[in-house]
Amino acid sequence: MAGIVQEQWSAAENGNATMTTKGSSRELRHGGRTAHSMSSSSLRKKSDLRVIQKVPYKGLKDFLSNLQEVILGTKLAILFPAIPAAIIGTYCGFSQPWIFGLSLLGLTPLAERVSFLTEQLAFYTGPTLGGLLNATCGNATELIIAILALTNHKVAVVKYSLLGSILSNLLLVLGTSLFCGGIANLRREQRFDRKQADVNFFLLLMGLLCHLLPMLFGYVGNGETSADLIADMSLNLSRASSIVMLISYIAYLVFQLWTHRQLFDAQDQEDEFDDNVEEETAVIGFWSGFVWLVGMTLVIALLSEYVVATIEEASESWGLSVSFISIILLPIVGNAAEHAGAIIFAFKNKLDISLGVALGSATQIGLFVVPLTIIVAWILGINMDLNFNLLETGSLALSIIITAFTLQDGTSHYMKGLVLLLCYIIIAICFFVDKLPQKQPNAIHLGHQLMNNVAAAVGEGVFSS
Amino acid sequence: MGSIAEPWGISESENANYGTPKGLSRELRHGKTAHNMSSSSLRKKSDLRLIQKVPCKSLQNVLSNLQEVILGTKLAVLFLAIPLAVIADYYHYGRPLIFGLSLTGLTPLAERVSFLTEQLAFYTGPTVGGLLNATCGNATELIIAILALANNKVAVVKYSLLGSILSNLLLVLGSSLFCGGIANIRREQRFDRKQADVNFFLLLMGLLCHLLPLLLKYAATGEASASLINKMSLSLSRTSSIVMLIAYIAYLIFQLWTHRQLFEAQEDDEDNAYNDEVTVEETPVIGFWSGFAWLAGMTLVIALLSEYVVATIEDASDSWGLSVSFISIILLPIVGNAAEHAGAIIFAFKNKLDISLGVALGSATQISLFVVPLSVIVAWTMGIKMDLNFNILETSCLALGIIITAFTLQDGTSHYMKGLVLMLCYVIIAACFFVDQIPQPKGTGLGMQPKNSVGGGFVSA
Repeated sequence: MAGIVQEQWSAAENGNATMTTKGSSRELRHGGRTAHSMSSSSLRKKSDLRVIQKVPYKGLKDFLSNLQEVILGTKLAILFPAIPAAIIGTYCGFSQPWIFGLSLLGLTPLAERVSFLTEQLAFYTGPTLGGLLNATCGNATELIIAILALTNHKVAVVKYSLLGSILSNLLLVLGTSLFCGGIANLRREQRFDRKQADVNFFLLLMGLLCHLLPMLFGYVGNGETSADLIADMSLNLSRASSIVMLISYIAYLVFQLWTHRQLFDAQDQEDEFDDNVEEETAVIGFWSGFVWLVGMTLVIALLSEYVVATIEEASESWGLSVSFISIILLPIVGNAAEHAGAIIFAFKNKLDISLGVALGSATQIGLFVVPLTIIVAWILGINMDLNFNLLETGSLALSIIITAFTLQDGTSHYMKGLVLLLCYIIIAICFFVDKLPQKQPNAIHLGHQLMNNVAAAVGEGVFSS
Repeated sequence: MGSIAEPWGISESENANYGTPKGLSRELRHGKTAHNMSSSSLRKKSDLRLIQKVPCKSLQNVLSNLQEVILGTKLAVLFLAIPLAVIADYYHYGRPLIFGLSLTGLTPLAERVSFLTEQLAFYTGPTVGGLLNATCGNATELIIAILALANNKVAVVKYSLLGSILSNLLLVLGSSLFCGGIANIRREQRFDRKQADVNFFLLLMGLLCHLLPLLLKYAATGEASASLINKMSLSLSRTSSIVMLIAYIAYLIFQLWTHRQLFEAQEDDEDNAYNDEVTVEETPVIGFWSGFAWLAGMTLVIALLSEYVVATIEDASDSWGLSVSFISIILLPIVGNAAEHAGAIIFAFKNKLDISLGVALGSATQISLFVVPLSVIVAWTMGIKMDLNFNILETSCLALGIIITAFTLQDGTSHYMKGLVLMLCYVIIAACFFVDQIPQPKGTGLGMQPKNSVGGGFVSA
């Protein structure tokens, strides 16, 4: 390996420590990073370019080194073979559950690579634009899956996977981080800056309000009110709320990247890695990075398409409900890279970064991906509203409130992490045993399709009056 | 007009000159709550020069008295709406017009009532004055509620009170924190969270009282008859109302006697800054009996306008195409709270968040734990069956409103993002009631026994 950096801290993670130091110090110089992309970087490897140095042709050499940086620059690279396997599987007519599994595996490293590429692009675009790029692409996988599921008219899968992503970030990622951090630093004080966490909770609670109100419309109506009227009201409210949510997300970005940066950057200044002054440079060029990003997005879209198309078959043959697969399995895979990063930072008692990853990601999905999906659905003429069902909204509400209470005092211990983790297990069990046929969201959705014209007419009536 | 040197450097120079420092120093001596402190930011120092020229002494007194009371507020232009509303009613103009004029007329009256109670407090001493303020602070809401009750419009009562709580918690507080955050973007904005916390316990207790009657309905199995549930819910609501009033009395004792320092903490720092001005003794501008007569008169005018508002709300709803719930929950409270709202924002601009919080939260607590149970008990004495069961949508909005605000104020600091989120929550709730086109039989159905034939008037509207 290139430079052997001395390790002054004593956390366990020897293997990753060398790389992460680089990661951390790199962040210091490029302000546009969110904690989100910072933690993904903990899974990176320094490429070993010695083999490539032997290649005679300059052009070929560049090309190969570029390839190596992008493809082999992650420890998850071994999962890349799942991508061709999934494609071959489709053409050779493998069974659908296999394709589902392979596609999920293939998505895991891609999610990490996308965040690597946006980070590389941030070297060229400057911190602010880079921060925006990161904030937007951070959950690109979730967004692409959601949009593809929408185009396939699988509204329930969209809702479930987004909800699951929020839950998994809030309870699973945060819970394991706090738990591992608590165990590893049992005798040390584990502090974090609660102001940063708080901002996320207001936004999440606001998102909860947006989910709650359309759901309650269904309970207000009595016998006389037709289901169409309620569905229509709920749809109008959801679309209005989505716009409000996007406004709040933009304000959050302004808050985070411009006016109150210090809240979000505070943890970096304490890093005591002074020996790491070597300037970090972009390892790939701008256009090459851009091309890679486009390519990866296409591959993600392809795999997401497979995932969406095969989810029902996988559900049947594995005996798991679609809701369980969408709420629990999809997000675990989609968040794997960030999850690993958050845990590693928690081991090093850098809870601010772990919290930034978990909460930032949850906020991003709750206030950016969800409303964007609603608006995309609106454009596509699909009637998707913010009404998750009672069970799902209840889980979301309690998760947000439990997590918010957990993070009230600015310190952490393993018990907090354990409780969050156990909450996630309870929710997972709940959706595991939930064998109710999944008609409702689709039925509402189909009903909408039939009533589309009527609903549109009434909807216009509401707004024009 | 004396131009007072400004020791602090924030924009609002116009307001700073008039009233506010005086207002602040005056608070020190009288048992004022932050609530009317903020209303005072809308006052103007009267210019008495014109009146000095009037030859007759008693006429001069009457005129100066009149000027103090009527023209002493920046909202005085809106007083014109009051005679217009009366004329419009007399000549049977369109009812929506009467509704709009009455609402406009109520805005300055709400501010003037708090001015008059403050004046009376000069004569009654701080404790009685504090009590008076605590009781009359939301006089408009109380009068509207009682008149709507007298007209058997239980749904309007519930909606307007709920809307008042929501508007104080989310809109007034949100816009204060947002404006304060933008104006003081580089400064730290601190407040004393103990004061805020007291309000949240009480609000959460109020929430419990609203939640239980609601849940009774859902707990019922098929066998339980609707009338049994209504009866249970009614008894529970009446008991809860008494408990809520006890809690409010305890809150007054806590606030005015035993733990005054919690609520006055912020003024101590001000004291040092304004030493030069505090020494000017503030005197009441009108006499006790004159103030009392004005108060009684204004209350009557408020009652008259409220009567118009209550009588015309359905017609306004029909002709404007807005649901009654939207008008009662969103429009009525915005108007009723306009004066306090402006005051809270002005104090937030000056980075005096404690006062803004005191206004918004104090007002919400007062409505939730005083006006609401009082309405239930008044309804009881009138034989109207009003319970504490707001519907599920309204109760959930209230619950989330309280929880979000409580989380926002947990750490004792503020920035504009907090205010923005609260405001956006209010926008979402407003959008919810805007699109809510479900016919409203439920509000009345739950509020009154179906057999109560008088209640039908509202349903048919």
